[in-house]
Formats: sequence, C-alpha cells, structure tokens
Amino acid sequence: MKKLSLLAILLLSLPALQLLNSQTPVPDQTWKLDQSTLTYHMSHPMHEVDGTSHAALGKGVCQAGQCDFLVAAPVKSFDSGDSNRDLHMIQTTRGAQFPIVSVRLRLAQAGLNSPTLDCDLEVNFAGNTAHYAHVIFQQTINGAAHHITGVVPATVSNFKIDPPTFLTIPIKNAIPVRVDMVWHAM
Amino acid sequence: MEIPGRIWAGWARVLICAGCIAVLCGANGRIAAQTGVQPATAQQASGKQGIEVAAKEDALALPDAPHPAESALEGGETLSSSSSFQASALNQPPSSGPSLSDLGLTPAETEGSAARQALMDRRTHMLKIHQRLGLITVIPVAAACISAAGAPPEKGNYSDTASRDLHIALGATAVAMYAATASYAIRAPRVSHEPARGGVKWHKYLIYIHAPGMVLTPILGAMAYNQINSGQKVHGIASAHSGVAVATAASYGAAILAVSWPIHLKF
Repeated sequence: MKKLSLLAILLLSLPALQLLNSQTPVPDQTWKLDQSTLTYHMSHPMHEVDGTSHAALGKGVCQAGQCDFLVAAPVKSFDSGDSNRDLHMIQTTRGAQFPIVSVRLRLAQAGLNSPTLDCDLEVNFAGNTAHYAHVIFQQTINGAAHHITGVVPATVSNFKIDPPTFLTIPIKNAIPVRVDMVWHAM
Repeated sequence: MEIPGRIWAGWARVLICAGCIAVLCGANGRIAAQTGVQPATAQQASGKQGIEVAAKEDALALPDAPHPAESALEGGETLSSSSSFQASALNQPPSSGPSLSDLGLTPAETEGSAARQALMDRRTHMLKIHQRLGLITVIPVAAACISAAGAPPEKGNYSDTASRDLHIALGATAVAMYAATASYAIRAPRVSHEPARGGVKWHKYLIYIHAPGMVLTPILGAMAYNQINSGQKVHGIASAHSGVAVATAASYGAAILAVSWPIHLKF
C-alpha cells in the first residue's frame, strides 16, 4: 500500500516537473546581423532610382522572452550609382547632421522562428522618428541563418523632408525601402 | 535494519510531497505571469501561496509586449493596409535594447555636424542655380546657332550687318550666361573627394570640350567678323568658327543630358 502511494506520488510529480520545465524562461540570446541589403526606391515622372546600402549593422538582445533589435546604417552608405545624386540625397535628408538611419523593433522571442514577422518599427531618420505598425517581413531559416525580407513603407513626408525636384517636379512621396537581411543567433 | 528503512521511506515521501506542492504552486504563478492572468485571478486559483508567488512575479515586472492591433483600433483608426505609419507614439518599440555603440559605431560616426550640413546646403543651393542657369542658357545657345544661318555675307553683300549683329548679340549672351552658369559650379563648395560616378562623371568630362569651345568660338567669331568687315572672305583659323561652335553646342547639350540620363517618362 505504501509502495503504491509512493509510486502514485512519483507519477503525479512527473507531469508537474515537465510543466515547470516548459515554463522556464528561455535563456537570454543575442542576435547579430550578418549581411544586409537595404534599397530605397525613389520615383519621379522622369526617373526611377534605387539606392542600395550593404553597410547596415544590427544587433538583437533577448531578455525575459522579449527581443529588442536595432539596425543602423550610415546615410552616406546608400549608393544610387551617381555620386552627385547621392550627395544631394545626403543634403536633402540632412545626412551630415544626422548621419545614421536606425530602426528599432521588439519581438517576442517565442515568435522569432515564425515564417512571417509582424513588426512595429521605430525608424529614426533625418532627425525625425516615424513609427510603422504591422510591417510584415518574410523569414526563411537555413540552419543558423535567418533570412529576412520585406519592405518598409517609408515616405518623404514621414521624416519632414522637402522632396527634391527635377525640372520643378518633385519626387513622389513614397520611398519604400526593401530589406534583405541575414541574421544569426550568437 | 527495518526501522531505518521505514524512516527513510517516510522522509522520502515527505520530501516528494513537498516538492510536488512547490512545483505545482510555482508553475501556476509563472503561468499567471506569462499569460497575462491578473494577480487576483491567480490568487483565487492558487490560494495564499499563489498570492505570494504572484506578488513576487509582479516585482520582477516584465516589460509589456506591444499590443499593436488593439491599440490602433481602439483609437478609432482604420488600418487599411498591411502596415501603417503612425506619427504618434502608439506601439512604440522600446528605447531600451542595443545602442548604436553596441553596434560598433563610434561617436564620430554617429554624431552629425551642423556646419557640414550647412556646407552641403550651400553646395546644393549653388548647384540648383547652376542647373537653372544652365537650362536657361540653352535658349541663347540655340538661338545663336539658328541665327548663324544669316551671319555670313550673301553674294558679296558685306554692308548688310543686321543679321550678323543679331548673331553676335545672341552669341555674346550665350557666352555670358555660360560663364555665369559655370561660376556657380566652380564656386560651389566641394564636400567629397571621391571620384565622380554615374552621369555626373560624363557631365564633368564634357567640360573639356564645351569650356574651351565657349572661349574659342567668340574669338574665332570676332576674327571672322573683322575679316568680313574688311571686305575679305573668312579664311584661316577663323573659318573654323562654325565647326567649333557646333561642337561646343553639341557637347553642351550632351552635358545636360548626361546628368538627366536615364530618362524614364512615367506620368
């Protein structure tokens, strides 16, 4: 009888231990941006321009189930294939005064492996901060590499930038930024 | 031997029971904290020990996860697309987390310079004037080219100078405006020492054709004018006036196109 009760207690305690194990906070984690391609698209009735940067740096820190990410790139690192246009872009976006464009976001650690990431972005650019809610990024995971792609629907007016003109016609307000990044957990 | 065995068995049961109770209570408290169950609910569910655990979890105060959809919709906003821009501080990602220095960026890289920005603003301002004047200069250049048709004396009639004078006036205006246009580009502050890339590179190469052409053309034109006025046929190096002028005008037009290319008309 005593042996039976002991066995029953042991059997009952096993699921409880398992439950405890599943609720143990995930250990802290750090993410690093390996490769990145950020491309803005500028549209004008006479010109379609893409400017690309591969110089973005990024880091993510996970604590208590929440991950804070920061991605930053020098404004001057965007190359549109024309040095004069790039200098004009830096001037227009006040890139000499605010040389870094940065993006912050927070994600639940549990959702980091999801094929789509719904992100609320805080973008700091040209001395102004804009928030973009529900920006969807696609994710494919190859081993340790997390390949993220998506588009940030930025506009010139979000950052209070005077739209540059060509032949007195201003560029379109939308300057979507294509994002292509590879992250890995450290 | 039997007595110590019983004692051990008794102790083991007590320890296992205590462990089970602690595990169950602890797990309950954690679930309450992680699933957003209010502490009051947790209290009702797990009794006095549950209250203590919930209070302990509150003290740890995990940061709130963002609640994007609910907050936006509660505020009466309609989210028409998959993503939306918000000027307000709704769903703000945290200001905590990694900093720029964590990324390896030095203060020299992250801190801007108002003086440098002012320099770039001045450069852009001057280049905008350069662009505007350059486009306006196309008019007297084109007009001088067109009026050149009436400049040479017709069938030895050297006395009719009206069309020739008009050509000279238009040519002089073109040269003066060209000089003004060039002065803005020359005086614009240089902010980068990197070699030019793209259309502006060709824009700069073409200077080597149209700048000497703009100097030579009026000199050759003046020589031709003097020869005609003295009743001579245009001869010698002065006869190259029209050829140099055409090359100059063509390279000037190409320089404008170079900074405008490629053109994709899309209205």
